[in-house]
Amino acid sequence: MPGLGARLGRGGATTTLASLADSDCIVIMGSNMAENHPVGFRFVVKARQRGATVIHVDPRFSRTSALADLYVPIRPGSDLVFLGALVNYVVNHERWQTDPFFREYVLHYTNASVIVSTDFRDTEDLAGVFSGYRAEQRRYDTASWHYAGQLHPVEGERWPCRPLVEPERDPTLQHPNCAFQLVKRHFARYTPELVEEVCGVPRELFLRVAETILANSGRERTTAFCYAVAWTQHTIGTQIISCCALLQLLLGNIGRPGGGILALRGHATIQGSTDIPTLFDLLPGYLKMPRAVPEHATLAGYFASERPATGLWYEMPKFLISLLKAWYGDAATPENDFGYSFLPKIGGDYSFQSILTMMEDGIIKGLFVMGMNPAVGGQNARLARRALANLDWLVVRDVHEIETASFWYDAPEVRNGEVRPQDIRTEVFFLPAAIAAEKDGTFTNTHRLVQWHDKAIDPPADARSEAHFVYHLGRRLKELYADDDSPAGQQIRALTWDYPTTGPHQEPDLMAVAREISGYRVADARPVAGFHELADDGSTACGCWIYAGIVTPEGEHRAKRRRGDERASLDWGFAWPANRRILYNRASADPQGRPWSERKKWIWWDPDQGRWVGYDVPDFPATKPPDYQPPPGAKGLDAHPGTAPFIMMLDGRGWLFVPHGLVDGPLPTHYEPWESPIPNLLYPTQPRSPVAPVFLRPDNPYHEIADPRYPYVITTYRLTEHHTAGGMSRWVPWLAELQPAGFVEISPELARELGIATGDWVVVETARGSAEARALVTERVQPLTIAGRAVHVIGMPWHFGFGGLATGGIANELAALIEDPNSLIHEAKSFTCTIRKGRLREGKAP
Amino acid sequence: MAELRARRYRRAPGEPVSTATRESYYGLPVIHGPHWHWPIVFYFILGGLAGGSAVLAAAARLLGGPPARPVVRAGRYLAFLAVLPGPLLLIVDLGRPERFHHMLRVIKLRSPMSLGVWGLIAFSLSAFLNALRQAVDDGFFGRSNRLARGFRKLPDRALAIASTVPAFFLAGYTGVLLGATAVPLWARNALLLGPLFLCSALSSAAATLSLLLARRSQNDRAEQALAQVEFLALTGEVTLLEAVRRKSGSVIGRPLRRGAEGRAFAGVRATTAAALVLHGLALLLPRRWRQRLGLLASILALAGAFLLRATMVFGGHRSADDPAATFALTRSDE
Amino acid sequence: MKGPAALEGTTRARPGAFGFLTDTTLCIGCKACEVACKQWNQLPMDDFGFTGMSYDNTGDLGATTWRHVAFIERISDREGRRPTTLAPFQSNWLMLSDVCKHCVHAGCMEACPTGAIIRTEFDTVVIQQDICNGCGYCVPACPFGVPALSPLDGKAHKCTLCYDRLKDGLEPACAKACPTDAIQFGPVHALMDRARARVSELRAQGVDARIYGDQALGGTGGIGGLNAFFILTAPPEVYNLPAKPELPQRRVLPAFFTTALAALALGIATLFSFRRVGRMHHG
Repeated sequence: MPGLGARLGRGGATTTLASLADSDCIVIMGSNMAENHPVGFRFVVKARQRGATVIHVDPRFSRTSALADLYVPIRPGSDLVFLGALVNYVVNHERWQTDPFFREYVLHYTNASVIVSTDFRDTEDLAGVFSGYRAEQRRYDTASWHYAGQLHPVEGERWPCRPLVEPERDPTLQHPNCAFQLVKRHFARYTPELVEEVCGVPRELFLRVAETILANSGRERTTAFCYAVAWTQHTIGTQIISCCALLQLLLGNIGRPGGGILALRGHATIQGSTDIPTLFDLLPGYLKMPRAVPEHATLAGYFASERPATGLWYEMPKFLISLLKAWYGDAATPENDFGYSFLPKIGGDYSFQSILTMMEDGIIKGLFVMGMNPAVGGQNARLARRALANLDWLVVRDVHEIETASFWYDAPEVRNGEVRPQDIRTEVFFLPAAIAAEKDGTFTNTHRLVQWHDKAIDPPADARSEAHFVYHLGRRLKELYADDDSPAGQQIRALTWDYPTTGPHQEPDLMAVAREISGYRVADARPVAGFHELADDGSTACGCWIYAGIVTPEGEHRAKRRRGDERASLDWGFAWPANRRILYNRASADPQGRPWSERKKWIWWDPDQGRWVGYDVPDFPATKPPDYQPPPGAKGLDAHPGTAPFIMMLDGRGWLFVPHGLVDGPLPTHYEPWESPIPNLLYPTQPRSPVAPVFLRPDNPYHEIADPRYPYVITTYRLTEHHTAGGMSRWVPWLAELQPAGFVEISPELARELGIATGDWVVVETARGSAEARALVTERVQPLTIAGRAVHVIGMPWHFGFGGLATGGIANELAALIEDPNSLIHEAKSFTCTIRKGRLREGKAP
Repeated sequence: MAELRARRYRRAPGEPVSTATRESYYGLPVIHGPHWHWPIVFYFILGGLAGGSAVLAAAARLLGGPPARPVVRAGRYLAFLAVLPGPLLLIVDLGRPERFHHMLRVIKLRSPMSLGVWGLIAFSLSAFLNALRQAVDDGFFGRSNRLARGFRKLPDRALAIASTVPAFFLAGYTGVLLGATAVPLWARNALLLGPLFLCSALSSAAATLSLLLARRSQNDRAEQALAQVEFLALTGEVTLLEAVRRKSGSVIGRPLRRGAEGRAFAGVRATTAAALVLHGLALLLPRRWRQRLGLLASILALAGAFLLRATMVFGGHRSADDPAATFALTRSDE
Repeated sequence: MKGPAALEGTTRARPGAFGFLTDTTLCIGCKACEVACKQWNQLPMDDFGFTGMSYDNTGDLGATTWRHVAFIERISDREGRRPTTLAPFQSNWLMLSDVCKHCVHAGCMEACPTGAIIRTEFDTVVIQQDICNGCGYCVPACPFGVPALSPLDGKAHKCTLCYDRLKDGLEPACAKACPTDAIQFGPVHALMDRARARVSELRAQGVDARIYGDQALGGTGGIGGLNAFFILTAPPEVYNLPAKPELPQRRVLPAFFTTALAALALGIATLFSFRRVGRMHHG
C-alpha cells in the first residue's frame, strides 16, 4: 500500500480488472494471477484474445505462465533490479526521449521537473545509503530529501503542513538535481548486464521485455502491471511496488484504460480490511491513527501535524470529525474535540509480527483470532505457537477447528512430546463462525470494488457471524462499564452501539451499519451523497469517508447493483472513492483536456458543459477546467492546477522522487533479501535494507548472506486449490482432494544432485525450523545463473498444517520474523534454506 | 480408484514429471475395465456347459436313437442343473441385486447383455421343460398318476428341437458380449470370441457328458459320438485360439503372454491341444486305451474351458488397464 | 467414404442437441469445474492422496468425479531447454477439463440392458438412478472410460450435463463456474461453428490446434461426434483420449453372424456324429 500511496496518492489498485481487457501489454510480476485470481484473470485472457502480449516474470512456471506469451524466470527477491533496469532502459531510449507524449505526460503529471535540495545524496554517492542515515537507530532522517526552495519540514511531521512554497522547477529536465535527473543517475547502473548477473534473466530476454513494454506505451497503446504479494512480502517490498509506480509514470500509463497498476489483493475483502481497517495504525479511510505523542494530544494538534495545506487531504477534518460523530454520536461535541480523547493512541509497533513477540514475552495476555490461522500462517510459526501457548486466554472464531485452536493438543511439538498440553496455560475458547453464504455483508476486493453478498442460508447450530460476535461483545462490554467513570470506561460508554437486530439470534442489521459507513446528516439521518457533503462541525457522521455515498439518499446500497457493461460498469457494485473506477483518470486526457487518442479515450473536458465527461466518474473536481491556475495561498484542491491528476498528493503530481512518505528512501534501491545466497552486487557494503525492522531474538535466528549451511533460495506461495493458511480449504473434502498433501517443487537438476524422486519425502530446513513434504520434481522450476554460478530455487506452498483432511509440513516454520520498514509486512517470498531427502523423524510410516 | 493410488507415480531420482507423459498419461488406463470377477467366470463356464449339453441332448434325441438315450438323459439334466446357478451368479454380481428385474424392462437388440438376459430366460425355460419331460420318462413323477400323464403330453421332439437355438445362443453370446466393449483384447477379437466360446462350450459339454457316462460300457457308440463332437469342437477351439493370439498382436495381446493371465492362456492352448492330440491318438488305439485316453482328454478339455473363461475375463481387466493397448486399438492412421 | 480432412469440424449431432465446447487453450487449470460439479451434485470426496502427477491429484473420471482436470507438463524439449517465448494461449503446460462426451451414438446407452441410460430432450446421455441395477456393462462399453460403478450405492454414475439445471433453464455448473470461459455450453452445432473458427484463428497464430469430438477425431467409428467436445493442442493420446475410437456396438451384428456360422458348423457336425450312432444302431 505505501508503495503506491507514496507516489500516486492512494494505496490501492489504480485501475480495474476489467480494464485489463483494454491493455496492449500486461506484465504480471510478483504475482501468480491465474492461480490466485482466476476470475480476474478472465480479463487477461480477453486482452490476449484481442491481441495483447502477456508477460509473466516469475521464479516458477505456473498456471499463469502457461497462458503467457513470454515467460521470464527470475530469482526471487531481485525484482527491483529488473524494474530499475526497465526505468534505465526507458529513460535512455530514443523513442522515449523524442515522442512528445512522454515529455508532456511526465512534465505535467509528475514531479520530474522539481529541483531537489542540494543536501540530498543518493545511494550512488554513499555506497548504498541515502543521506540522513542514522546507523545506530537503523532509520533515516529525511530532512535532506526535501525539495529545494521549500520550508524545512519539522522532523517527525508526516507531511509538510505549512503552506507550500512553490518549489523550483526546470521544465527542460536538464538540471542535475531535478527529480528526473536524479532518477536517471540513480538507475544508471541498472543495466541489462546487471539484470543477467543479479536476476538470472538473460540480457536478450530482458531487452525483449523492455522493448515490448515501451512499444506498448504511448498515446495509442497502454501497458498494465499486475502484482501481488511476491512484490509486497520483501524487506524492500514497498520500494519494489513503488518502482513500478515510477516506471508507469514515466511510461504515461497511469490513469489510462488498459494501463495502471493492479495491486491484486489476496483473500476476500482484504482491500476492505485496510479501508475500514484491521491495521493497528490506520483509522477508516486511511486516516492515520493518532499516536501517544504530545502533538497528537488534541484534535487541533493532530491536524496541525497531519493535515496538509494542499490536495484532497486538506479536507481531513471533515473526514475525521464525521468519523468521530459516527462512533461517539451525542458524546462527540465541539467542546470535547468530538470525542477525540476517547480514541486510543498507539505507542509503538503493534504489527502482527510484533504482537507475536509481545505475546511470547508475556506483554500481551489475551488474543482474539478471527478468520486467521497464525499457528500455520504466521512467520516463524513455531514462535507463533509458543506465543499462543503463553497467553492467558485465546478466543478463536473460525469455521473449522484450525491449528490455532487445536495447537495445545495437536501441534507437532505436542505430538512428539516436546511440549505437554498440561504445561500450556492458555485458556482456549473456540467459537464456530458462519461463512460468507450464511451472512449478509460486503466484500471489498481488488480494485476497490465493493460488492454486497446476501445471506443464503442460516448458519448451523451455534455458528455466528463476526458482526454478531463483535456487536454482542460490545453490548456486554457496555453493560459491564455502564457505571465506570475511568478513562477506559468512558471510552466504552461513549461508543454508539445501537444497531437494530433481527432474527432469533439478534443479528445486527448490516444495512444499518452500511448507512453509518456511508454517512448521514446527524439532524435528520438523511444519507450524504458523497464525501464532498461531509462537514467538520459535527453536523455529519460517516464511518468511512472513502465509502461515503455508497448508500444512496433513497436508501439503496450501491454495492448491490449488478449491471455490467463493456466500459467502466459503473452500475456494478461501488468502487471507492465515489465510484471512480480508474483512479487518476485525469491523466487519460492531455494537459488541454483532450483524450490522448481515440483508442484510449476515457474521460475528457467538455468545454460546452464546462465539466469532465466520459466513461468513468472523474477522479478530479468535476468542473475544474484544464487551464485552471491556482491563486496564491489557495488551499486544498484549489491549490492544484487543472493539470494535476493525483489529487491526494500535495502538489497533485505523481512523484518520481518521493521527499516524504517512505522511510527507506526517495528512490527505489535494490538490496538483497535479508537471507540471500549472494552478496549485493550493486552495493557490496550494504547488502541488506538499512532500515528494515529486525527481531533480534534467540528464537528468531537469521542466516548470513551466502550462508553455506543454507545454499538454496526458497519462495513460498499459494495454490488455487487452497486458501491461505488452510482454515477454509483443508477441511473441505472437495478442495482437500485436489491438493491433498504438502509438497515442494524442485528442479530436475537439484533433484538429480540430491537423489530425490517425485513422491519422496523431503525435509526443508532453516535455522528456525523444519518442514517435511512430498517432492514434486518438475521442469517448471529451474536453477538460475546468478553472478556466474548456479543458484537453486525451491518452491513450497504454505497452506498446509497438521489439521484437516489435507495435511503437510508447515512452510512458515522456516521463515523468520522480519519486516518491510514501511508496510511492516513480512518477507516470505525470498529467503534461504537447505533440503534433504528423508523424514523429520526417521522410521515414520509413509 | 484404489488402483489409482497404488499407481502413484514413481520415477527415478531427478526425473521430471513430464517424462511420464511422453508415451501415455502417467501410465493411467484410458478406459474403465469391467468389474467382473469369478462369479462371471463361472457363469460363462456353466452357461457354456448348459448350452452345449442341450445341443448334444437335442442332437442325440433327434438322430441318435436308443443307444444315445443316456446322452439325452444326462444332457437334458446337465443342461438344467448347469444353468440353475447362472441367474443367481448374475444377480449376485449386480451392484443392486434387488433390482435384477429391471433387466426385464426392455429388450435391446444391440445390447448383447439385454439379449443375453432374455436368451437366458428362454434357455432356462426350455432346459426346464426338457428336463421335466425327461424326468417324466424317468419316472420321477410316478408312472400313471395325473401329474405324470399331464407332463407326458409335452411334445418330446419339439422340445428338443426348440432348445437348440437358445442353447447355441447361451453358449456363444457371452463372447459377443465381451467383444461389444472398448476393452482392447476383447474388441480386437470381437468376431472370434463368440465362435471360440461356442466351441469351448460344446467341447466342455461333451467332455462332461463323457465323464458322466464313462462307466456304462454299452454306450460305446454314444461315447464315440461324444468324443467325435469333442474332437471337432476342440479343433475349432485350437484354431480360434491361434487366430486370437495372432489377431491381438504384440501390444493388445500382452495379457495373453504376461503374468497370471499369460500363464493361463498358455494353459488353455496346452490343454486343448493336448486334448486334441489325445483324441486323435485314441482313434488309433484299441478300445481300452481309447476310453482311458478319451477320459483324460475330456478332463484336459474341461480344464481348458475353465482356463479360457478365466483368461479372457481377467485378461480383459489387464487389457483395459493398459493405455498402450487402447491406443493400439484406436490409433489414428495419420 | 469421406477422407478425414472433409470430416473435420463436422458432427452428426441432432438438431436440438446441447453440449460443451471445452477450449483447452483458455484453461488455467483452476479446477473450479471439478468443485462446482461436486458441489452441485453433492458428490463425495474421492480416493485421496498425492499422486505426483503434476497438479492432477484426481487422476480420472469416475463414479464420483464427473469433471477431471488433466495436467501435462511440456516445459522443455528433449535437450532440457526451457523456452521463454511461448505459443499463444495455454501452452507448455497442457490442461484439459475432461468430462463425459455425451456421444451422438453412445456406447454406454446402447449397452445398458435395463434402459436406465437414456437420451434426454437436450440430446444428452443420462443414467436414471432409480432404474440402474449396477450390472456394470456400460463401464467397459464406453470408449472413453467415463461411467463407473460406485462402491457406495452399487450403481453406475457419470456426468448428467446438469440435467436438472438444464430443465430450469440454467447452464451446467461447470460452465457457470469456469472463469475464463474455457467451458462453453450451448447448442452443439453453434459450438462446433465456434470451434471451427477458433481452430482457424489458433492455427493462424501458429498453435497446433484441433477439434476433438468431430467425425474426424474422437467422434469416429460410428460414434458420430461428441456433444461434449474439445479443442486440443496436441494429439489426443497426450491427454489419454483415444484418437479414433469405435462404437463397440458396431461389432454386435458381425459378431453374432460369425457365432451363428460357428453354431451352424458345429450343429451340423454334431448332428452327423449322432446320426451315425442312430444309423449304426439301426444298421
